Amino acid sequence: MRVQNKLKVSMAVTAAVSLIAVTGCSANQPAGGGGGDGTNKLEITSWWTSGSEAEALNVLIDGVKSSSPGLSVDNAAVSGGGGANARQALAARLQAGSPPDAWQLHPAGQLKSYVDGGQVADLTELWTQNDWASKLPKDVAEAQQVDGKYYTVPIGVHRGNVLWTNPAVLSKANAAIDPAAGVDGLISTLKQVEASGTTPVCLGDKDIFASAQLLESIIMSRVGADNWKKLFTNEYSFDAPEVKQALEDYKTILALSNKDHSAITWDEAVKKMANGDCAVSLMGDWAYGELLNADKKPGTDFAWVTFPGKEDIFDYVGDGFSIAAKNTPNPEAANAWLKTLMDPKVQTEFAAKKGSIPAVTNADISTLSEYQQEAAKSFAEASVVSSLAHGQVTTAEFAQTYADAVSTFNGSGNVEAFLASMTQAQKTQL
Amino acid sequence: MTTSTAQPPAPVGPRFKKQVPHNVKTSRRAAWMFAPSLLVSFIFVYVFIGITVYISLSNWKLGTSPDLTLRQPFGGTYAELFQEQRFQADIRNVVIFTIIFLVLAIVGGLVAALFIHHVTVGKGLFRTVFLLPYALSFIVTGVAWRWIFAPSTGVNEILRSIGIENPPGWTTDTTILGALNDPSGTDFLKIQFGIPVALLPIIFAAAWQLVGFAMAMYLAGLASIPEEHLEAANVDGANTWQRLRHIVLPQLWPSTITCFVLLLHVALKIFDLVVAMSGSGPGFVTDVPGIYIYNYLTSRYDKASAMAIVLLLLTLAVIVPYLIRGYRKERKA
Repeated sequence: MRVQNKLKVSMAVTAAVSLIAVTGCSANQPAGGGGGDGTNKLEITSWWTSGSEAEALNVLIDGVKSSSPGLSVDNAAVSGGGGANARQALAARLQAGSPPDAWQLHPAGQLKSYVDGGQVADLTELWTQNDWASKLPKDVAEAQQVDGKYYTVPIGVHRGNVLWTNPAVLSKANAAIDPAAGVDGLISTLKQVEASGTTPVCLGDKDIFASAQLLESIIMSRVGADNWKKLFTNEYSFDAPEVKQALEDYKTILALSNKDHSAITWDEAVKKMANGDCAVSLMGDWAYGELLNADKKPGTDFAWVTFPGKEDIFDYVGDGFSIAAKNTPNPEAANAWLKTLMDPKVQTEFAAKKGSIPAVTNADISTLSEYQQEAAKSFAEASVVSSLAHGQVTTAEFAQTYADAVSTFNGSGNVEAFLASMTQAQKTQL
Repeated sequence: MTTSTAQPPAPVGPRFKKQVPHNVKTSRRAAWMFAPSLLVSFIFVYVFIGITVYISLSNWKLGTSPDLTLRQPFGGTYAELFQEQRFQADIRNVVIFTIIFLVLAIVGGLVAALFIHHVTVGKGLFRTVFLLPYALSFIVTGVAWRWIFAPSTGVNEILRSIGIENPPGWTTDTTILGALNDPSGTDFLKIQFGIPVALLPIIFAAAWQLVGFAMAMYLAGLASIPEEHLEAANVDGANTWQRLRHIVLPQLWPSTITCFVLLLHVALKIFDLVVAMSGSGPGFVTDVPGIYIYNYLTSRYDKASAMAIVLLLLTLAVIVPYLIRGYRKERKA
């Protein structure tokens, strides 16, 4: 009899535990913590976890703490996958109705997916109250909007189309890169380098974004900033002769690159360039910090030019923060956070740690590195366009289609197939 | 994943005399006992498979904005998927990967087990050496293999030093061996069917890692072969090969089936090793369904779900016949 009782108890316990497990997973409970429990807490999610990124994030956290005394900040950063893991975690929290107070995202296309889902708060009032639009280049302010409303606040700016060069290799080949000579000029310089016996281009596209970014820089140079933007509103076709020319250029440059490009990563490629294995390497300006970390000296071991083209284009890869449309645990703290982000002093300090440049034009850049000062100047003057390789200019789906088309092209070199799949995507996905 | 193991003999003797008799009451109690685990596995396996099937048929594109209306025409996502060059390459790669990997790992494991079973010195050492890679994660070994097969350094340095001018490009090679077709670009088939050269280093690395697992399975099988059978064969004058062919191998058949089933799902699910060694590769020569699903999770929920279902069907296509065979056997017994 006792045995049977024990059995019944254990059965009941098992059933109860498994029921709790099952119902716990579909929990739709309101957000815990935050304002509800009386403490003044701010929770921030991002994918900034590497050394320099975490330090840069701390600048922002210290900034908001000094403007809102007594606020405790919960840094809920998720590492890995270039932000993919953090976005997955965020999506799950948004679905469950338990968002963080503010989260990191790329503006423009990625922003649009949150707006379409009705998950991100309209910040237009905050923007007009603080007159933020006047403190930013026009293109940058526009990138924070969807259908004329502001949904995000920009904190830092990276440039995607920078050609890093090795001065020693170039001078050995008696060659120089003239940004004004355009893509044709670049290719003839690269052929000159090849004739001198050195591989002209270092590329590391084990992660496909590196070639996607190279091709995107060539397309931008061939079609110009205005047409680049029109590619994503379906007012300019991927079938245009300029895009086709860009594909041919890309094929030529791919043939002038290291043969093992698909086996190495972007950081290995820029270091190869600085070591003198080749003359140039295209990469975003996060490569600058990578080169400094490898004890390379700017000016002597490596130099930089904007990717050659008919006009000065700034390929914008930006970071910003948004807040949830509903259920934000501590809206007041979230607003204080956004205001802190737009403080020019905070933006300068953040840029110094992260290696990016401030988004606001009234920030003091005199303390930043030579490269950053040059980039900041160009940012204020050049035509700013958003990156496709980093999923910023349009939807995530279109960016994935582009990445796949580049992977396919790298294997087959088939220009027509590339153009066909991209024009098809323009028709069905935009 | 279930595997058939030998049923233990029914307990007999005085210690088990008080066994509870089978009746309606006890079988109802048994049902209650099983209910929680059945419920949990039903929800977390079958309901979730059902949800994934539904999402793959719906309009839910972005993770951020669920749209659960059914896509028109019905199954459009699958039609879209099947036409993709990347999807076709993935299916080719996973089939080639699975076949070559299974052969290498199973044959390698059998040879290693026979060797260790018959070796007289350092048995424990050899067993550990062969089994050790299995204890490591694919990411760790994948990074090491990536360095080994790096075209400009790695094993190619050795090849160059012994006078081979143009060593292979390993994972960067886009050649398809024994290509069966040459797609013109307008066909439905957008890829060449054959063995992608770039996949071979990855298959080799995977087989190297799982050989120890197959070996352990075979060692257990070898230990269960009665000595008498081999002695009897000896007395009858059978040579080593005949003993292996007619006594050892047939009795190892259950181990082979178990190895096959367990290694099969390693092959179909392969993801981390490929990510660490080569990524998708130029023209998707080393892409696999796992990477496809991962890439599309943030941009197309429906397509990622459809690929997951295709992967499930691939697994079922092999596992179901195996299970049916198992049930039939049980019934006969």
